[in-house]
Amino acid sequence: MDTPHNDPNQPQSPIGGPAHDPDPTAPTVEQSAGAAGDEPRRLTRSRTDRVLGGVCGGVARYFGIDPVIARIVAVGMVLLGGAGVLLYLAALLLVPSDPALGGIGTAPATSDRSRTLGIVVVVVLLLFTWPFLLGGGFLLAGILVPIAVLAVVGLVIWWFVSGASPEGEPREIAKQALFGIGALIACGAIFTGGFIAAAAGGGAVAAGLVIAAGLALVVGAFAGRVRWLVLPALSLAMGVGIVAAAGIDFDGGFGERDYRPASASDIRDRYELAGGELVVDLRGTDLPAGDTPLTLDVGMGEATVLVPEDVCVASRAEIGIGLIEVFDRENAGADVDWEDLPRAANGNSRVVLDAEVGMGHVQVLHDAPVRDDFGSDGRFNRSFDDRNGGANAGCEASTLSAVGR
Amino acid sequence: MRPPGSPDAGALVAGLVLVALGAVLLLDRLEVLDLRFGTLAPIACAAVGAVLLASGLSRRDGQG
Repeated sequence: MDTPHNDPNQPQSPIGGPAHDPDPTAPTVEQSAGAAGDEPRRLTRSRTDRVLGGVCGGVARYFGIDPVIARIVAVGMVLLGGAGVLLYLAALLLVPSDPALGGIGTAPATSDRSRTLGIVVVVVLLLFTWPFLLGGGFLLAGILVPIAVLAVVGLVIWWFVSGASPEGEPREIAKQALFGIGALIACGAIFTGGFIAAAAGGGAVAAGLVIAAGLALVVGAFAGRVRWLVLPALSLAMGVGIVAAAGIDFDGGFGERDYRPASASDIRDRYELAGGELVVDLRGTDLPAGDTPLTLDVGMGEATVLVPEDVCVASRAEIGIGLIEVFDRENAGADVDWEDLPRAANGNSRVVLDAEVGMGHVQVLHDAPVRDDFGSDGRFNRSFDDRNGGANAGCEASTLSAVGR
Repeated sequence: MRPPGSPDAGALVAGLVLVALGAVLLLDRLEVLDLRFGTLAPIACAAVGAVLLASGLSRRDGQG
């Protein structure tokens, strides 16, 4: 890194270090401003106060601090995992050098646009690599990487909405990214609104709004700038579309439901839950020989069925996105169609499960222990140990299909 | 800027795509169709792709 350069012509601060521009021949901020009217001051690498590339000298001059402080900070950043090296290299590549002697206000070698693009790329790369260089690894990466991605997405949205490439001073680019992020948040709210409306039964109205927005765009294409309407309308359509594809509905309310019917006649025709956790515990239910139907309808969440070991379970399920586990068999993914219809052995009872889940998890277990505890976060947790799920032992072995094995 | 009187191709295509997408969603909600992720995903990708393509082409032609 740079070390102080003793220039006999430069003014000295009372504590012995250069207090201002160490390079009397380079244009000062005031000179540049005076020469170019209201032109903002420019960060440049010093031609005279330099050890390697004059980065620290230029930064110190830009902020009006002693170059020694800038160099100490730079060395500290190098020792703290090497981020200083990357930053120094980035500044070396992106910050122009002082204009040649007598060339006040000389244009930089690269165009503003390409340098802006370079700055964006380097900043994104730094945000990705810095956490690892600092030793924070995924802990810091969990904060900085999403910020980097968010900034890039914000700029892309700005580009789409405004029709102009992000360029200008860093402050301008930051404003554009913030605008894009704001638009993203607004679209997220519209997506959520469409999702909730469709799941609550207003999907036809939401679809009608999408059509209306499309028609407005067609008309607006001849009249003026309406392109901004595309993103909110697409967001609304996506919210409605996911509900439609997953088959989510909000019947049955939200929360935790735990049912323990005493006999087959106590079993409801249909157990519904819009979102949350549904448990139907048949371990204490007096189940007759023959088939006992059990129908579950869960919008989003987890449905658990507990049965005694001598009960055979036949199952059908439609899951938009998620997972089904019936003892030692399972299937997962999008558009999961599950059917496993074994026969009961030796006159055992058979539960015929019919499940519809929009997004979530269906599991059928034997006598699985329920573990109630308070987690490390102090919140009440309840989970089932599916390692004790067992097998579908109440069925004829020869009728068990190989599905999901 | 686009020539006077000519439509913004990006907005026009996006509008038509949205009308079609909304019609598909409406038919599903009216239980005429049964949308699933296997069919919706390609439709959504095609819709977004058409909008981006039209926007890009209109900008290249100086209509943006």
